[in-house]
Amino acid sequence: MTALIKADNIRLTFKSKDRDPVTALNDFTIEVAKGEFVSIVGPSGCGKSTFLNIVLGLVKPDTGEIRLNGTPIKGPGQERAMVFQEFGLLPWRTVTANVELGLELKGIAAAQRADRATELIKLVGLAGFERHYPHELSGGMKQRVGLARALATEPEVLLMDEPFAALDAQTRDLMQAELLQIWERTQKTVLFVTHSIEEAAYLSDRVIVMTARPGRTKSILTVNLPRPRDYEMRLSAEFNDIKANIWNTLKDELIARSGNGT
Amino acid sequence: MNRLASFYIEKEHYILGGGFILLLIVLWESMPHVLTIPRGLSLFFTTPSRVIDACYQLIVENQIQDHFYVSSIEFLAGLGLAVAVGLPVGLITGRSRILDAMIDPFITVFNATPRLIFLPLFILWFGIGIWSKIMIVFVGAVFPLLINTYEGVKNVDRVLVNVVRAFGANEWQTMKIVVLPNSVPYIVAGLRLAIGRAILGVVVGEFFGASKGLGFMIATAATNYKVDVVFVGVAIFMGLSLVLTMAVKKIESNLARWRPEEAKTF
Amino acid sequence: MGLKAIYQEYQRPILGSASVLGLILIWELVLTFLIPLNPFFFTKPSLIAVAFKEQVIYGALWGDLAVSSRAFLWGFSFAVLLGIPLGAFMGWRRRAEYTLDPFFTALYASPLVALAPLIIVVFGVGLLAKSVLVFALSIFPFIFNTFAGVRSTDRLLINVVRSFGGGEKDLYFKVIFPSTLPYIVAGARIALGRGLVGIIVGEFYAASEGIGFAISRFGDTYRLPEMFAGILVLMIAAVVLTEGMRKLETVLAPWRTTQETR
Repeated sequence: MTALIKADNIRLTFKSKDRDPVTALNDFTIEVAKGEFVSIVGPSGCGKSTFLNIVLGLVKPDTGEIRLNGTPIKGPGQERAMVFQEFGLLPWRTVTANVELGLELKGIAAAQRADRATELIKLVGLAGFERHYPHELSGGMKQRVGLARALATEPEVLLMDEPFAALDAQTRDLMQAELLQIWERTQKTVLFVTHSIEEAAYLSDRVIVMTARPGRTKSILTVNLPRPRDYEMRLSAEFNDIKANIWNTLKDELIARSGNGT
Repeated sequence: MNRLASFYIEKEHYILGGGFILLLIVLWESMPHVLTIPRGLSLFFTTPSRVIDACYQLIVENQIQDHFYVSSIEFLAGLGLAVAVGLPVGLITGRSRILDAMIDPFITVFNATPRLIFLPLFILWFGIGIWSKIMIVFVGAVFPLLINTYEGVKNVDRVLVNVVRAFGANEWQTMKIVVLPNSVPYIVAGLRLAIGRAILGVVVGEFFGASKGLGFMIATAATNYKVDVVFVGVAIFMGLSLVLTMAVKKIESNLARWRPEEAKTF
Repeated sequence: MGLKAIYQEYQRPILGSASVLGLILIWELVLTFLIPLNPFFFTKPSLIAVAFKEQVIYGALWGDLAVSSRAFLWGFSFAVLLGIPLGAFMGWRRRAEYTLDPFFTALYASPLVALAPLIIVVFGVGLLAKSVLVFALSIFPFIFNTFAGVRSTDRLLINVVRSFGGGEKDLYFKVIFPSTLPYIVAGARIALGRGLVGIIVGEFYAASEGIGFAISRFGDTYRLPEMFAGILVLMIAAVVLTEGMRKLETVLAPWRTTQETR
């Protein structure tokens, strides 16, 4: 198992004009293998979303190094794509035009873009909604567009920043199941940030639990549930043990976080 | 009877609105037939039918076309100049913190001040030809355009900027894909305001130190107690304003295809 | 705190005043050393300062300002007294809205200032004509903003007050009035600008006193420094009134996240 993503001792401090500097990440180190589904959980403000932005190349760490396939990450690139929590769809573009965004920036011809977009819209189950504008879609549908857009450029790594946090519980369950299907079919490497222990346990091969700010790896838990997974599995004793395990690791950090009063 | 009632309920909005305006016109028209207007006041009094007559006469005698032409040139040139200056300056100040900070005091002061106050200065500088009017139209219309463009750029969603940058867009592509489309509704709303200011500039500019134009026509008619001609001029300006405002509103509602609500600026 | 920190803290005001002072300085220097000043065509800051001192300190412009203010106050007060009830009435009664809205919208959209020569011919040169002009121009923002304020009162809040046993009177004073007030003040700011237009047009057109008359007379007699001093006085008044109104908005409605509509 060779590491596709390798982050070494990442450290990042936010400085701002009217507040004390905040250290978001401190000596954060992880390795993610090709094709792996890894979730990161941790208390709010522990820097897990910041870490995704570092992998994406939008934020530069102060110290430490992050490599993809052995080459240091210097900025955004086509091998990585993000699915955003707030969807981030361009409101003036139709579903198709939103899905095409990455391809357009890559300089791909219009005809090919359209073909690829149609294919992906079908993959995420939105066929028939190509000409709709984002405000005409429900939250779940918007995030399907977000997923299709991220997959369109055929990235190796899919970064997902609490992608289902803005959805209601049932839509969320549905989207998780579909994400797993798509993941199994496309063989992407996924780095998934979430607040939900259940979500992390259900989706992941490994779950990384982070400490309260400044964030660093507290422990890494392997989820040994067979694949493909289905909803039934979430009712098993085994699954509950895994959840309890994550919860116990995370509990002290949550208390530490709320004790800080911030 | 029932059909009539349901028809009324369905169209009540238009029936009441149109009916009220019609009623006012009828009342105005019938006033001299119902009341005897005192001699002193009759000098300033006219009726809608006399206004229409006067308008017909002016057109037939080819008296109004020239005025209309001059006013249109002033309006279009001034507004065009305002667009050519307002949009780029708004875009640049919206993107650059430093330029924004440097230009902000000027914008605050000039936007609060009615720019008509510069009319005597412009007449002194540019004479009583069309250029003083073009300039007064320009300074009136440029600020709403500039400020709305600026607001559109400033109000761009940070998340969207991050999204396109995450897909590898450079500054120019970010501008083209996110910032500019986001500003369009603001710019159109600014254009609506700017049209109003531009017409104001034409009217008032032509009141003073002009020898042509609809505003000049109104002013001379008023001093000669030709009240019907005054109303002809006023009606033309009203009509133009309404048509232009509605045209821009139409553009705005087309933009609303991707916006659940129209731009809130006004 | 070092100089750099001070600059960073107060970047906006520093850059703003620097650009204003810089412009004044360049204006003065260019006309003193580079281009010979034609006093019948242009003037420079030092001359304007002298004229400003004479006109303002020794009082000539104060009289004009007082004359203009009186006409403004009369017209504006009547606009408030008539505009707010009319707008509220349209907000209450849907039929009133249907009847009056098209008429008022047409008047608001049209340049009523075109009637100025007629108004002056009818009402004579002086206070009355100017007040009528101010009134005619500034009433519409009061009507439409009050209307919008009443209409946008949150139905939920009305139901909340009702559910706690509030009567008709409580609705007016506890819900509708407070939620409409910020709209009215915002309308007042727009009305202010339009009212000033009324004053200026009235005084340019036919007047023997007032700030607009003073500026236009200085222009006719090529007294440029005095003319600029007059413009400066009007600018100061306009900025003070507008910014005061803006301040009032935040004082009266601190709960509102201010929507900038300049």
